[in-house]
Amino acid sequence: MEKFDVIVVGGGLAGLAAAYTLAQEDLEVLVLERGDYSGAKNVTGGRLYLNPVRDLFPDLWKKAPLERFIAHEEVAMMAEKRSVTIRYSGEELRQEPYQSYSVLRAKFDRWLAKQAERKGAMLVAKSRVDEVIIENGQVVGVRAGGDELHADVVIACDGALSLVAEQAGLRQPGNPHDFAVGFKEIIELDPAVIEDRFGLEGNEGAARLYMGEVTRGKFGGGFLYTNKESLSLGIVVGIKDLMDGSPQVQAPQLLDDLKQRPEVASLIRGGQTVEYSAHVIPEGGLKALTKLYGNGILVAGDAAGFSMNIGVTVRGMEYALASGYYAAQAVLKAREAGQYTANQLSVYELLLKDSFVMKDFQNFKDAPTALDNPRFFTVYPEMVTTMMSELYAVDDGPKERIYPTIKKHLTIREMWDMLGDFRKVRKL
Amino acid sequence: MNIVVALKQVPDLQQIRLRNRQPVLDDVPLTLGNIDKNALEAAVALKEAQGGNVIALSAGDENIEDTIKEALAAGADEAFLVADDQLQGAESSWIATVLAEAVKKIDQVDLLLFGEGSADNYSGQVGSRVAEILGWPQVAYAINIEVNGSTAAVTRSLEDCDEIVEVSLPAVITVLSDINEARIPSVTQILKAGKKPKEVLELDDLDVELPDGSPVETISNLAPDSQRKKVVVKTVDELLQALAAEGVIRR
Amino acid sequence: MATVLIYSDKASMALELLTAAREVGAAAVKAVTINDNAAAQDLVGAGAEVFAIDNDAINLADTAAVASALAQAIEQLGTDVVFLSSNRRGKEVAGRLAQIIQAGCLTDVTALQSNGDQIECQRNALGGATVATQTITEAKKVIAIRPRTFEAAAAGSAGSLNDLSVEAKPSAVKLVEVRSKAGDSVDIEAAEILVVVGQGMESQDDLPLAQELAKKLGGEVACSKPVATDKKWLSEERIVGLSGKKCKPQLALLFGISGQVQFTVGIRDARVIASINTDENASMNQMSDYIMTADLKQVLADLNKAL
Ligand SMILES: Cc1cc2nc3c(=O)[nH]c(=O)nc-3n(C[C@H](O)[C@H](O)[C@H](O)COP(=O)(O)OP(=O)(O)OC[C@H]3O[C@@H](n4cnc5c(N)ncnc54)[C@H](O)[C@@H]3O)c2cc1C
Ligand SMILES: Cc1cc2nc3c(=O)[nH]c(=O)nc-3n(C[C@H](O)[C@H](O)[C@H](O)COP(=O)(O)OP(=O)(O)OC[C@H]3O[C@@H](n4cnc5c(N)ncnc54)[C@H](O)[C@@H]3O)c2cc1C
Ligand SMILES: Nc1ncnc2c1ncn2[C@@H]1O[C@H](COP(=O)(O)O)[C@@H](O)[C@H]1O
Repeated sequence: MEKFDVIVVGGGLAGLAAAYTLAQEDLEVLVLERGDYSGAKNVTGGRLYLNPVRDLFPDLWKKAPLERFIAHEEVAMMAEKRSVTIRYSGEELRQEPYQSYSVLRAKFDRWLAKQAERKGAMLVAKSRVDEVIIENGQVVGVRAGGDELHADVVIACDGALSLVAEQAGLRQPGNPHDFAVGFKEIIELDPAVIEDRFGLEGNEGAARLYMGEVTRGKFGGGFLYTNKESLSLGIVVGIKDLMDGSPQVQAPQLLDDLKQRPEVASLIRGGQTVEYSAHVIPEGGLKALTKLYGNGILVAGDAAGFSMNIGVTVRGMEYALASGYYAAQAVLKAREAGQYTANQLSVYELLLKDSFVMKDFQNFKDAPTALDNPRFFTVYPEMVTTMMSELYAVDDGPKERIYPTIKKHLTIREMWDMLGDFRKVRKL
Repeated sequence: MNIVVALKQVPDLQQIRLRNRQPVLDDVPLTLGNIDKNALEAAVALKEAQGGNVIALSAGDENIEDTIKEALAAGADEAFLVADDQLQGAESSWIATVLAEAVKKIDQVDLLLFGEGSADNYSGQVGSRVAEILGWPQVAYAINIEVNGSTAAVTRSLEDCDEIVEVSLPAVITVLSDINEARIPSVTQILKAGKKPKEVLELDDLDVELPDGSPVETISNLAPDSQRKKVVVKTVDELLQALAAEGVIRR
Repeated sequence: MATVLIYSDKASMALELLTAAREVGAAAVKAVTINDNAAAQDLVGAGAEVFAIDNDAINLADTAAVASALAQAIEQLGTDVVFLSSNRRGKEVAGRLAQIIQAGCLTDVTALQSNGDQIECQRNALGGATVATQTITEAKKVIAIRPRTFEAAAAGSAGSLNDLSVEAKPSAVKLVEVRSKAGDSVDIEAAEILVVVGQGMESQDDLPLAQELAKKLGGEVACSKPVATDKKWLSEERIVGLSGKKCKPQLALLFGISGQVQFTVGIRDARVIASINTDENASMNQMSDYIMTADLKQVLADLNKAL
């Protein structure tokens, strides 16, 4: 039987960050990844905020296969027949170090895996963990394809719906309220065409979010990120919202419909879809986080619930990287102390509380509920776009003054609701 | 008994995409040819039955050291590699020359196994050419191999019949994928693979110099241009109507 | 263009090679046979200049011996270009022969065309995902052509029959036994309509439904490779694809086929393709004219009822 210092289950961002950090300190780390290689099946929208994690891995970024730095932030409010798009281009977005980048996981994860291997981590792809081995209340290893593998500590980084955390008793089977689904296509286009269509200079990129009709008014939104030679286009929508409400919406249909919208169709014209993927996203916020540690086990990344869906945008990659890093730090501390009890490993939670990870989750703790309000996804986009259509309309009669145009669309009652909604959102 | 198995490093064909009918090979992960894995399995099965040593042989670019781990995990005892950028995807006669020279450097080879065809090129030449260079007998399209001392009984599967032949050793045998089901290595085997011995040579070590122009030139390599109608039909009736309208069935 | 030497262990394929050599405009064609009088007669009947090797010491199961005999014939006849059939026997000989005479070699050639003194050959590459056009730049060329790429040459004005004597190498391969394959001598390449069954068929009990449909349509049943080699429900003769047959039917009805490239190379020349699959995203659908998302068993039953 083989024994390692640490077994990491799942070679996604969380797992690789943990393995990289531990291997750097010369621990014997085994990463088990069920995909053909790291990144093979991982789904993300594709936007990574680098600032919060830059210093955790100081040597890492120079050669990282990042796609484009995001220099233009856009929001498109979509009503049934019209849309309004706002584009923000700030100078600070064009200054190094850049805040955020578009990334492609198939490339990025594979590269990160190589870096972890260079540090000495052992990566075994195409191997799925089927079971957690628990002896006397302590996690001592895992079973994978008939092999029994032991370690001082196991780090569960196996993504949303983590089997490892569940078997270790740290997480309840999923509640649909706490998950969203995402669908995404990668559409290849010539770089010059991308730069032209999105008004980009050189390696600049744009991030566009779609809200409103794209999800038929349900909680969620669409996203479009520019990569070097492709676009990432997708939809995220709450599972609960998909399940209730009639008529039932087929989520893949939403993405198809989004592609048909003239505003989108013209951006992707001539492109070739080279990848289609779907994935669940934990999004219950703070209250849905798993218990983060137990005897001989830590949980990081999506497995722990560290991703956040604030309606139109999902963040998870930097939480995955950071929580993987802090899990590794907790292991190093436990190793010094020579024990791997839950009590000892609880330092992980302290480290996280001190970091941007838990601070973000605290700050955004009301996000899902505040945004769980259909008006954001139906009434407002419809209202704004209708106002716009009338503002710009030139009929045969004299043009109406602007104020009455706006007022016409708002009753007192609506104004009141609106104020309430925005008061809640202000907390975000 | 020393059994050498030639395995080719190829791009994972499932991951190749097409752009404007051109295959896109950047970033496609490398793997070993499928049928080559059957050849390895045949070698490992022989070793397990009668003892011996299985050596994985491959010529490719520098990634080959990594890729060959798959073979070491699946039962090869050691690897003999020729690593040089010129060799990745090189023309068959060049590869054959290199592999034959490598085999000459390995002691006492009894059996030299190949896949019937490589996953990407599938030309079935390399095994035959190596056999000729070494002056060894050969049997291709094997679906069964039994070694009895200094000979092997091999079943060669042809289109219309199976031939059972007796071949004296050392010999070259190329296998069909039907010969066995290649095993999937366990995690422990994969981990141990990293520690198995590997000999890595360069072209210079073999005293082989590749000529300038390739004997085979590729003028173009494009996906076929097939425009299909992709009409969705909901019922059997609709389908039959459409096929009748095409004139391919009578109704 | 140069003189072309042709050889196949199968008379019918040798006749196809004769056509191939004539079509690329060979200055002359010299056909070699080994211990096969009937083939020699057929080739003479089709107008070929035949060189018959008669030597009991050469055993066709010994590829080294066959390659050596052919190399001696090439030497004696002074030819640079050799056409072989790309059946298994021919492919096995091709590499060995090319190595002896130091030729460039291409196998599994599916089309060829002469261009000056070059012969441009097409063959599948990357597992069938692409078709490569290649030429051999070496003066000596060995080209193995896929069976059925050319029509067999018809009988016509008689050619000539000459004896050719070559030395037999001492053989290290002994033929012990020949077992003919379980008799299913179907020719799916000749069928106008194919009913093709894939792994989507759950039970062998459903196979008769496909057979009934093929019969009603006047076609044949064919299959993807795993149906023949893993499940062994049908004979290998019926496999469509890279390691099976390359078919050009008027109509191919595909039931439960996912559309891996190694399969589709065998069917992409069909005139009309209909795909029945429970998975609407099956990649086969991208390469089909008619797409029906349904359970194949039901569709087979309904088709049989409707026809
Ligand atoms: C559509 C969509 C859009 C998103 N957009 C963004 C965005 O723009 N920005 C952002 O920051 N985040 C985004 N996210 C969230 C982000 O992708 C995730 O939070 C992040 O990928 C989490 O990383 P992870 O390493 O925890 O999990 P994953 O990346 O899911 O990795 C888990 C790994 O574990 C492996 N695994 C699972 N089970 C086993 C097992 N039993 N044995 C072995 N291996 C196993 C898996 O194969 C996988 O490789 C998005 C998510 C989705 C789905
Ligand atoms: C070197 C090499 C050569 C090869 N040569 C060949 C070759 O010549 N020919 C060949 O075929 N393969 C060949 N293969 C194998 C090939 O890669 C594929 O594995 C094979 O073609 C898959 O067969 P399939 O489509 O029948 O099965 P699968 O890929 O398993 O697909 C089954 C399909 O059936 C559908 N289905 C399931 N249930 C139902 C239902 N009830 N009703 C309708 N649809 C259903 C599924 O959605 C699926 O799409 C070769 C492979 C290699 C490596
Ligand atoms: N570069 C290579 N290294 C090792 N073996 C090879 C290489 N190329 C081809 N082979 C072997 O030769 C067989 C036939 O290859 P091919 O002639 O390309 O169809 C393969 O199945 C392998 O066993």
